[in-house]
Amino acid sequence: MDEEQVVKFVETYLKKKGFKQAELAFHDEVQHNSNANSVDIHSDPDLSLLLLSLSQSEDTPARYHEEYRKLRSWTHSSLDLYKPELLRVLYPVFVHCYMDLVAKGHIQEARTFFNSFREDHETVHSRDLQKLEGVLSPSHLEEMEFAHTLRQSKVNLKICQYSNELMMQYLRNTKSTMMLGIVNEHINFQVSPGQPSSISDDAEVVTLIGNSQDAANQINKKEIHWGLLEDSLEERLEKAGGLLSDSEKTEGDAKEGDLDETKVNILKRSVEGGKQGASVKKLKKDKAASATAKVVRPETNTSSIAPRVKSELPLPVMLEAGYGGQCPTEVEQSILEDLRNRVQLSSAALPSVSFYTFINTHNGLNCSSISQDGSLVAGGFSDSSLKVWDMAKLGQQSGNSVLQGENDTAPSEHVLGPNGVKRSYTLFQGHLGPVYSATFSPLGDFILSSSADTTIRLWSTKLNANIVCYKGHNYPVWDVQFSPLGHYFASASHDRTARIWSMDRIHPLRIMAGHLSDVDCVQWHANCNYIATGSSDKTVRLWDVQSGECVRIFIGHRSMILSLAMSPDGRYMASADEDGTIMMWDLSSGRCVSPLMGHNSCVWTLAFSCEGSLLASGSADCTVKIWDVTTSTKVTRTEEIKTGSANRLRSLKTLPTKSTPVYSLRFSRRNLLFAAGVLSKCK
Amino acid sequence: MSIVPKETIEVIAQSIGINNLSEDAALSLAPDVEYRMREVMQEAIKCMRHSKRTILTSDDVDAALNLRNVEPIYGFASGGPLQFKRAIGHRDLFYIDDKDVDFKDVIEAPLPKAPLDTSVVCHWLAIEGVQPAIPENAPLEVIAPPSDGKNSEQKDKLPVDIKLPVKHVLSRELQLYFDKITELTLRRSDSALFKEALVSLATDSGLHPLVPYFTCFIADEVACGLNDYKLLFALMRVVWSLLQNPHIHIEPYLHQLMPSVVTCLVAKRLGNRFADNHWELRDFTASLVASICKRFGHIYGSLQTRLTKTLLNALLDPKRSLTQHYGAIQGLAALGPNVVRLLVLPNLEPYLRVLEPEMLLEKQRNEMKRYEAWRVYGALLRAAGKCIYDRLKIFPPLPSPPAHAVWRDNRKIVTCSNKRKAGTEHLEQPPPKRLATDGPVDVVSTDLSPSHMPGEAITPAPSNDSNVGPSTSSAHMPNSNDLDRKVERGKGDHRSMKTSAILNQVWKDDLKSGHLVASLFELFGQGILSFIPAPEMSLFL
Repeated sequence: MDEEQVVKFVETYLKKKGFKQAELAFHDEVQHNSNANSVDIHSDPDLSLLLLSLSQSEDTPARYHEEYRKLRSWTHSSLDLYKPELLRVLYPVFVHCYMDLVAKGHIQEARTFFNSFREDHETVHSRDLQKLEGVLSPSHLEEMEFAHTLRQSKVNLKICQYSNELMMQYLRNTKSTMMLGIVNEHINFQVSPGQPSSISDDAEVVTLIGNSQDAANQINKKEIHWGLLEDSLEERLEKAGGLLSDSEKTEGDAKEGDLDETKVNILKRSVEGGKQGASVKKLKKDKAASATAKVVRPETNTSSIAPRVKSELPLPVMLEAGYGGQCPTEVEQSILEDLRNRVQLSSAALPSVSFYTFINTHNGLNCSSISQDGSLVAGGFSDSSLKVWDMAKLGQQSGNSVLQGENDTAPSEHVLGPNGVKRSYTLFQGHLGPVYSATFSPLGDFILSSSADTTIRLWSTKLNANIVCYKGHNYPVWDVQFSPLGHYFASASHDRTARIWSMDRIHPLRIMAGHLSDVDCVQWHANCNYIATGSSDKTVRLWDVQSGECVRIFIGHRSMILSLAMSPDGRYMASADEDGTIMMWDLSSGRCVSPLMGHNSCVWTLAFSCEGSLLASGSADCTVKIWDVTTSTKVTRTEEIKTGSANRLRSLKTLPTKSTPVYSLRFSRRNLLFAAGVLSKCK
Repeated sequence: MSIVPKETIEVIAQSIGINNLSEDAALSLAPDVEYRMREVMQEAIKCMRHSKRTILTSDDVDAALNLRNVEPIYGFASGGPLQFKRAIGHRDLFYIDDKDVDFKDVIEAPLPKAPLDTSVVCHWLAIEGVQPAIPENAPLEVIAPPSDGKNSEQKDKLPVDIKLPVKHVLSRELQLYFDKITELTLRRSDSALFKEALVSLATDSGLHPLVPYFTCFIADEVACGLNDYKLLFALMRVVWSLLQNPHIHIEPYLHQLMPSVVTCLVAKRLGNRFADNHWELRDFTASLVASICKRFGHIYGSLQTRLTKTLLNALLDPKRSLTQHYGAIQGLAALGPNVVRLLVLPNLEPYLRVLEPEMLLEKQRNEMKRYEAWRVYGALLRAAGKCIYDRLKIFPPLPSPPAHAVWRDNRKIVTCSNKRKAGTEHLEQPPPKRLATDGPVDVVSTDLSPSHMPGEAITPAPSNDSNVGPSTSSAHMPNSNDLDRKVERGKGDHRSMKTSAILNQVWKDDLKSGHLVASLFELFGQGILSFIPAPEMSLFL
């Protein structure tokens, strides 16, 4: 028989049978052979192996099962040192075996295969397994995005050289061609010389979403400016009062000098412009003076201040008169007063927590939000309503009722219900579906609410009325957040996008697309130039607001992300998921600083204290936990490995509530912690 | 192969009217049904999470169907769990039990109560990191105490500040003692042994660990033994003994004890037989209450005010029975003349008006009731008399040192202002001559306050009181007053000569405000005039 004829015959046979990997291997082999110039095909062991496998192709499903079983037992009995790495290979192999079986129509076998080995991966990948379990026909593979991307892409696995050799040798020696095919087709080994890495080191292995790791690594190289916004009130106070903030030393110190210079220029301009009130001017002049003084001798306190960045967004003049109906200088003064009276929190000085308990919600409360000063509390309900309580007035009422009894002289403070019954809250009606999120503007004069009816509505707490309805999302809007300076806001939706809006436009300014599943939560960076989004695809992404590009992908969570928080110094981000894991991320490197374990149920909310030393988390397990962030962030990764996990997770305090899951948390400017939750029935 | 068997598909097909579904179709539909179901559940879980819940409800499934543009399944509100029933004759066929509801029943059923409106309450979860022990916070017992302190530190868990409940270990002897005492109290309270026991309770040291048990015991027994007069009296005696014991700190348990004591004072019925002399029990309890107030009044600022409020409410409520009124009056009287003067006397007139018909034979046929009314009347009279005597004592010329000594044990509560007044008067006392001239001025100045008026008006009454009180018990007090006065007179005979002169002086002084006195007499009305003011009138005349 002619050699070419044989090749052709084999090739057509493979094509007919649909053995892709075999065909590929064969092709390579043939090319290799032709390059090596006519080697006897029949004497080539690899090819004969392939031919052997073809002859056995009738009982393929059983072979998948058998070979996987063998591989599994081999892995489990391998050397301890390399076992973790080898075990990691099993999961992608398992998933692809199953999908191959489904794709070939062996549904019954696929199910048995799946059920016999699923326990191995249940702990880490239970969500993925649940999804895959439903895949029962080749068409589902196409339809389901998760499965589709898995099949289309390769999984990156870091593995040390020796493990790789071990694995390959085993697969060859045992003639596990099926496994070999899968490993070749779907796994991309990144072989590294030296010792194997520990399992805990590699958080990214738990996500199997295609080549996202590659992309993430690529994306995470982009530059981001995580410094704080210049010319903020805090900065003014620091300057005016000569107050030394104890924020951490940063890399941006070197730039401090010229930054200051530019700032002085800006200030001069703004002072010349003379738009703002007299006192502001005076403040600014003071500041300019102190700033120039600083330029003269920049070594005095440069090390204590985080780098400042300019805003890429045209920022609203936040305290413009009439904006909130308040005198701008007054508001500014009160904020400055708050900042001066701020309690310094640390691991030794824990915050006071004021808890707002919703009662008689009849299981209808979906979300709650607390205004910056804690005086207003909003609740979004599944009956489409939004209710706002004025806590300051609530306190007065109870005080009054003691003194005045029946004849309340201030009926205007109450909103009369339809039956003339006095209500303690303001009712906002307008949504057509459950309200999933609400957020107060920084000054507390506006509320945004997002709903399952795909809209976001803007309400005024002064007028007690709906002002704008923002339509743009196509599916329920899960979350909406005001930017730290107001005016702009971001929304997250089931339609897998996050959008940036401004209060004065009814259409979104930016659409951030890229998440592979629902965007569940959104949070602004302290300098307003970035937003972070958490998604059901278990990743957190950081987006540049100006360009709309994704600048960071944070991979490591094992389930849906439920809440996000940005540290006030702009350097770190905390994210929490369904399982109760909280992760601290370094924004600049895109790496996880440390996971904070402790909650055993969904963490609904996170909040950093104002100077960034503490992180508070509220969970469905009816606790508020306070974490020491300074220790966990300062200890670098390498140190951690040396010292073990001793000082890695520092939970300072667990505050149990009385069967009240905690829905929202908020640190006031004075560092008082407000928490809100619904009293649920004891079980 | 699919968790949905093809039989299910066939059943569903039949239920929507497709009878000839081929087996192949059912087989290929089954996996797809499972896939769609999982898809819906995945979305439903998302909805659940965004509703901040950890329990999936049928609302979430509806919302998920909504997301997929599928009509929601109606009729499954998030009520109780659905009841599945097994179909008879089939091993694995289930259906939902859906009862027929009669329209009439639904329409005629009363409207359900409107649910409570949502509201927000505020409390401190923590103050500077420490959780205050308030009812709004989770009780500390919920947190399991760390089994091993070291271990929890090593595990890098948070150190929880837990105050473990203190365990009291009662010695066997104390337990026996307690059992014995309780048994005696319950069954043999008339034995001599019980008297011994009371003495032991009043004197023994080292009984403190038993105090909480005793208070509990007393509270329980009083609560359920209101019909047992003997038991109640025994219990009150135990309280009395406990109060006497100098080695016991009973203050922390007073709040538990007081309700039972007050119950024995103002309960409607104490004991269930006519023979039960509940009057005596009430008198005893009244003295008990007064001693408690005297001892702990300065520690518990609100103790006396709360007590007097309770008693006064009982007295002024016409719906309460006369026995209750009696207890209240006795209690108030025991608290001292000032309490009587401030609280009882102003209400005397309207009260007597109500009481009067009860005492008259022609108005109240029920002898029992009439008897009770007379008892109340007697108690009132005694209280008023005591009060008047107190006024008389404060009255400048009369309080001589021996009189004071006699009266000191009379358990009177001296209010601050009176004390001061008494003090100043003591200072002024030595020169009686001067007093005679100065005293009246002093009195005038104090008498201008209207609260003094009632006392002032009937001032001379007990001083010249003879055995006018018709009811035996009520006569007792004035009598003793009289005796005391006599003693006083005997002791200070040199002064007694002047007494009448001084009285005259006072009387003159009173005449100056004579119109006030007259109005007061009018106020007191016939009932009281016939008894108390009669001798007084004679004096005046």
